[in-house]
Amino acid sequence: MSEPQIEPEIIRISWGPQHPMSGQTRILIDVDGEVVHRLIADLGFTHRGIEKILENRTLLQGLIPIERMAMVDTANIGLGYVLAVEEALGIEPPERANWIRSMICEICRINSHLYAFGLQVESTGYFPAVFLWTTVDREVLLDLLERLTGARWSYNFIIPGGVMNDLPEGFQDKVREAVNYLRGRFRQYWEAMVENAVFEMRCVGVAVLRKEDAIRLGATGPVLRGSGVDMDVRKDEPYAAYGDLDFKVITQPDGDAMARLKVRFHEIEQSLNIIEQVANEIPGGPVRVKIPLFPRPKPGEFLSRVETARGELGIHMFTDGGMNPYRVKINSPSLRNMYVFERLAELNRILVADIPVVINSIDPWYLDCDR
Amino acid sequence: MILEAPSLLMKSVLFNLKPLTQIIVIPGLAFILLFAIIVVWFERKLLARAMLRVGPYYCGGRSGVLQLIADFLKLFLKEIVIPQDAHRVLFVSTPIILPTIPALAITLIPFDLDWVLFRAGGLSLPMFFAIAGFSPLIPVFAGWAANNKYTIIGSLRTAFLYISAEIPLVICASAVAIMAGSFDLGRIVESQSTIWFAIPQFIGFIIFFLGLIIEAERTPFDIPTAEVELVLGWRTEFSGILFGFTMMAEYVSFLAWALLFITLYLGGYNGPNILGLPLYSHIFWMLFKLAVLVPIVILIRGVFPRLRMDQLLRLGWYYLMPLSILNLFITLALKLGGIF
Repeated sequence: MSEPQIEPEIIRISWGPQHPMSGQTRILIDVDGEVVHRLIADLGFTHRGIEKILENRTLLQGLIPIERMAMVDTANIGLGYVLAVEEALGIEPPERANWIRSMICEICRINSHLYAFGLQVESTGYFPAVFLWTTVDREVLLDLLERLTGARWSYNFIIPGGVMNDLPEGFQDKVREAVNYLRGRFRQYWEAMVENAVFEMRCVGVAVLRKEDAIRLGATGPVLRGSGVDMDVRKDEPYAAYGDLDFKVITQPDGDAMARLKVRFHEIEQSLNIIEQVANEIPGGPVRVKIPLFPRPKPGEFLSRVETARGELGIHMFTDGGMNPYRVKINSPSLRNMYVFERLAELNRILVADIPVVINSIDPWYLDCDR
Repeated sequence: MILEAPSLLMKSVLFNLKPLTQIIVIPGLAFILLFAIIVVWFERKLLARAMLRVGPYYCGGRSGVLQLIADFLKLFLKEIVIPQDAHRVLFVSTPIILPTIPALAITLIPFDLDWVLFRAGGLSLPMFFAIAGFSPLIPVFAGWAANNKYTIIGSLRTAFLYISAEIPLVICASAVAIMAGSFDLGRIVESQSTIWFAIPQFIGFIIFFLGLIIEAERTPFDIPTAEVELVLGWRTEFSGILFGFTMMAEYVSFLAWALLFITLYLGGYNGPNILGLPLYSHIFWMLFKLAVLVPIVILIRGVFPRLRMDQLLRLGWYYLMPLSILNLFITLALKLGGIF
């Protein structure tokens, strides 16, 4: 990337990619003393060409690379691709499979949100106690996933036509146990983070994104809902079993870093409710329909939208009658939110110390940005 | 006569060895180094508990007591990398000077009326602040010498941090001096033999506690070395043993301010004579109070996030400064009213 010119008296700090908190990206920060004048996100360090790879794979083979987009949130992204594939093949998954899909997606969402606010807490300079708590508590969910799918990460469990297997024996009881445990833990998180006076000082009123700005800049997911916009693909265009499930869309009016954290926090509560509902009320029946090993999609254009943990993922698939898709365009939520991040310094007064808090409240997954 | 000679010799040797003992054992080198090593180990163990971990585990039995010695050896054997654009002399010398400044200040602290390494008499309290006042200069030089953007921002933050902390601290300390009627640290301790100054000067006690954390650059006020923003602030470019010295300086400065805090507010070396010899029990009480104070300061690190620079300045100038002046007036009122 050619670097834009800077004015005199301004220091340009290259924040990352080798930095304790930056992740796999570089953010150029123009600072005058402590005040940030401009933020430039230099993405692309982890570009792997997933869109191009998908063109050289059959529809079923494409499941493997697409899940590498965001490892912590694989099920939601995999489901987005699978929905597009199912539309292209014209198949309808059985009801029970839809419920299992919803459950896995919600477990993934909790995983991802736990990671996100663990990072946000650490970025305020909290000695990483809370971050490690969230890591330990993720184990409970990873154990559930291992029991169900056989893998802790990247399980490719959601496939066109349903899911790989039925729930194992006694799985519902394990789910209820895990849900109860996590509900107890979240009370502690609330006390350690939201009610901590210094943490409040660091997050309240930081990087405020007003409602009209959020809509104008195309924010999505918890960032958009943290600005008070009631939008969630799960409610607006229900997929999987979300039409039958009872949950609320969480919004917070303030639009600051704390509001985004609270949105994630309450979304975890809703996700726990959904998981419990699925465990209690899941209908019987088969979990997958047979599809041919090398399916040939009908030519055309297919679109799917899913709500991942970071926001709305759109997959736009073109097929020309061959076994491989002609083109797959992925609209990733993290990239959309990074555009918002770049504009935040113009909308607010941001200090250098706020940068890690702001970036982690946006919660981008750089592999997802770069694809 | 025959028996007396060796004992006399012994006495004179001991008498002459007193300054040497003070330099080498307490409050000198061994004490400072042991404090740094034990506190770092204890901090890592205690905070590991807060993080659901076990902490140092393999070095020196299952408790990991020798971990710090291993770390020190590792740092000592590492290559010292000097950045190309750095000012070489300042870059190498600043981390070595850094721990000596708070160590010098420690020599003023009385561990007994007689057990003071540097007898400054009525000048000892101003002298402490004079010596400790040098310590923010060194990080500023170090950050400038490394010639790196992170280090420069870190050293600017250091300057801001110390200015906003040191003025309330001086005002609080002078309130103590007014109450004791002397700037002599020994006499301040002696005048606390009936009641600790923490009780009549409660506001000053709280301010000094916060100031002690700020001066030692510990969470929630470790703003100059904020890892998530500035990598390691003014320490970013130091490697090997130079980095080790900067880390040690943090703990030596913590020790110096903690000892001053104990001397001014927690009765210094006062305490029941439990070890027979007054000297030993005085040293014991000093160490005991330190052992109570240190875990509290360490636990704060596990509980609070870091403040932002502007929030710290607001805390320093809007709250600590007026409150310390209020504390000064309360002290004057108590003194003039004849209560103390």
